[in-house]
Amino acid sequence: MSTEKATCKEVMNHICDNLGEDLDSPRCVAIKSHLDSCDSCKKYFTSVETTIQFYKKYNVEVDDNTHKRLLDFLGLED
Amino acid sequence: MSEELLIQKAQNGDRAALAQLVKNYEQTVYNFSFKICRNKEKAEHTMQETFLSMVKNIEQFSGKSKLSTWLYTVVSNNCLMLARSQKKHEYSSIDDEDNLISEDNIADWKITPDQISENIELKNILDDAIQNLPADYRVVFLLRDVEGLSTEETGKITELSIPAVKSRLHRARAFLRNELNKKLSYEY
Repeated sequence: MSTEKATCKEVMNHICDNLGEDLDSPRCVAIKSHLDSCDSCKKYFTSVETTIQFYKKYNVEVDDNTHKRLLDFLGLED
Repeated sequence: MSEELLIQKAQNGDRAALAQLVKNYEQTVYNFSFKICRNKEKAEHTMQETFLSMVKNIEQFSGKSKLSTWLYTVVSNNCLMLARSQKKHEYSSIDDEDNLISEDNIADWKITPDQISENIELKNILDDAIQNLPADYRVVFLLRDVEGLSTEETGKITELSIPAVKSRLHRARAFLRNELNKKLSYEY
């Protein structure tokens, strides 16, 4: 099985899992068939993935002052 | 030194071990707090209260669940309490499934996640979008999708059933995707 097919299966599994359906249920087969040929759904799926990536990559670092204030607050100074 | 040993030492009053546990998790807790609060001052306050709770209660920590799960639970509860006390804020409704997933305006976005660090306007858009998401949905989205916890762990932390976690996650993703689509399809 190619990597691409394994990834698709994982995706389908995920979608169908959330729908409460088996991978080979008529509904999941119909969804897979639709996804294969529908640009709008592909774009929608990509935009949901991108949304998650945006929030994953938006991070803040603990700077030295914040770290010191935390240890002071807890009475655990170095 | 393993986390298990650090916890044992901390439970026996070893302050250096306690400080090391704080150090090991401060970045995770601060980042998660910020992602919920979208405000550095509130995130710092939440982080301090979370670790204070850890320091006070470390002796009762049984080790049945991971320390990280326990810390996520404290941050989530702080966030939900704060949100309930701030009822002034009107959250968007995300109950209407038909409006959540619309076939209109399915367009490519002209900006990628790699551009986040240098783009303040994009950060503001992300902050605004997630602040309009009700807190109980926000927590599920952040735990499951952003922090990468399993559905089961997310359910345990939020005290929700697995179907409820999945339903909230689905709605939160769709809501945020729509909010970003409004801005990123046209303004950039």
